Amino acid sequence: MGALQRIRTLAANTLLEAIRSKVLYTLLFFALIMIGSGLLIGTLSYVDSNRIVQDVGLASIRLFGTAIAIFLGVGLIFKEVERRTIYTILSKPTSRSEFLLGKYCGLVITVWLQVVLMAIAFGIISLISGAPFGLEYVAVIGLIMLELALVVALATLFSAFSTPMLSSMFTLGIVMVGHLSRDLLAIGSQSDVPSMQMMTKLIFRIAPDLAAFDLTLQVTHGLEISQAQILYPMVYGLGYLSLLLMLASLIFSRRDFN
Amino acid sequence: MATEQTLEESCEEVVRVEGVVKDVRPGFGLVKKRILSGVSFSVRRGEVFGFIGPNGAGKTTTLKVLMGLISATEGSATILGHDVSEDEFRQHVGYLPEHPYFYEFLTGRELLSFYAKLSGVPRAKRPARIEELLHWVGLEAAGDQRLRGYSKGMKQRVGIAQALIHDPNVIFLDEPMSGLDPVGRRAIRNLILRLRSEGKTVFMNSHILSDVESICDRVAIIVEGEIRYEGSVSEFLGQTEHSTDVVLEGVSQEMVHQLAEQCQGTHRELKGRIEIRVPEKQVRLLLQKMLECDGEVISVNPHRVSLESVFMSTVEG
Ligand SMILES: Nc1ncnc2c1ncn2[C@@H]1O[C@H](COP(=O)(O)OP(=O)(O)OP(=O)(O)O)[C@@H](O)[C@H]1O
Ligand SMILES: [Mg+2]
Repeated sequence: MGALQRIRTLAANTLLEAIRSKVLYTLLFFALIMIGSGLLIGTLSYVDSNRIVQDVGLASIRLFGTAIAIFLGVGLIFKEVERRTIYTILSKPTSRSEFLLGKYCGLVITVWLQVVLMAIAFGIISLISGAPFGLEYVAVIGLIMLELALVVALATLFSAFSTPMLSSMFTLGIVMVGHLSRDLLAIGSQSDVPSMQMMTKLIFRIAPDLAAFDLTLQVTHGLEISQAQILYPMVYGLGYLSLLLMLASLIFSRRDFN
Repeated sequence: MATEQTLEESCEEVVRVEGVVKDVRPGFGLVKKRILSGVSFSVRRGEVFGFIGPNGAGKTTTLKVLMGLISATEGSATILGHDVSEDEFRQHVGYLPEHPYFYEFLTGRELLSFYAKLSGVPRAKRPARIEELLHWVGLEAAGDQRLRGYSKGMKQRVGIAQALIHDPNVIFLDEPMSGLDPVGRRAIRNLILRLRSEGKTVFMNSHILSDVESICDRVAIIVEGEIRYEGSVSEFLGQTEHSTDVVLEGVSQEMVHQLAEQCQGTHRELKGRIEIRVPEKQVRLLLQKMLECDGEVISVNPHRVSLESVFMSTVEG
């Protein structure tokens, strides 16, 4: 009981910090402009303008969501140690794992709040341009949210022992590899070099399979989305991020705070 | 839970540090640096314990080991019978770090509420407790101001308030007087004395020896990562011999030499008068002689041995 209350307190405080900082509103402002710009690009184009509105919109949500997740995530733990705000917190009955989990949950909620705001903007734009906006879009955006929770976990892991500069490089690198790992696997399987096949398989196994969370193509092309296409990333995502958090907590618990 | 309470209540040695060694590897970890080399001491229930030593002696490092912020390379540290790596017992412990930093986006009241929740203060008791503490540290007026706008001394005060928010039994303060004005210092001194009268145990690191002398029951002195002394303040001061300064008038030079010699003292000229410093037990003899030779005694002052002078000789010797 105590632990849950402490995690909730830490999470709420993290959210409050984000709400009271100005940087976030700037990012959100640009995100909304990007989503809106889909409308403009759509009118300039000869091809299906609805598809462009939605491609740009969903891509913007993912892009800005990832940017916010990495931007805030890499400083999440590091900043607390650097500014020594963590000293008094850990002197309370709070364990290091609770602290980490509380900060993580707070940031995930912050990022999700941003996504919801962007999704509302996306919905309004879709309505204005007459593009379809149904339940399948909710599922697509839900998967984006899960993907971002995973990105935050990655950033948190690095933030638990490394500087924001290094953490953002690592996280960004892994996110990019994660989006490409399926393509790499496909390339590797066509290669005649066995080591190449091995390498791409290994990368696919280790790096987070982020392409699984991206159903933009299916939804903008009006293709059928199967149950498995939603269930698989859910199970995979929750499993993967739990592992990341356990690892982060393990590293964090052994650290000295100098 | 019941057995745990008894463990914590029955524990007479509230803090116990045994042979704590701390090595760090600064930079790239190639060279090892020993900060604490076998520190041992203990703090008894209900006392105000002063942990003193020169800059860089290892006071803050020792306190961080006790708070579980860094781990000891060797040795053990327990608080209320619990190893310091445990978490739950900390509901009985309050901590004010050196140069404390807090969330600047919160107001004083919000910050205290945050710490109250983390330390498990029941919801119903929180508002009253927060007001009480703001009053104790003199921050009622600034309670709704964000910490970004707080001065150094105000941060120190809010730091003391958060350390006490859950009414802990053992309070650790790393230089509680630093950054405070004379009024603030007196307030904190009174607060510490009040905590002691409530039966709390207080451990404080300090540089301000006059404060330590006036409020601490026992002290430990640490120099270069080693404990040089542990014991009561009065015993510590009693280690050096006390002497008394007697100022005289109307005595001849020759008489002065004679007196000084007989009473094992030293003498010097002082604004036309003569001051003789003699060991405490020779004062009576000196005064008797003076009466016999009809000289005038202007003043008799016991020479005060301060913690500072004994501290200096301990550190340097
Ligand atoms: N992480 C670290 N890496 C290298 N040296 C360190 C580290 N932490 C502390 N030290 C060294 O350990 C020694 C003790 O530091 P500590 O902060 O405990 O001193 P202190 O007694 O609190 O001093 P002060 O009175 O100035 O607060 C210092 O020489 C300091 O330089
Ligand atoms: Mg110090």
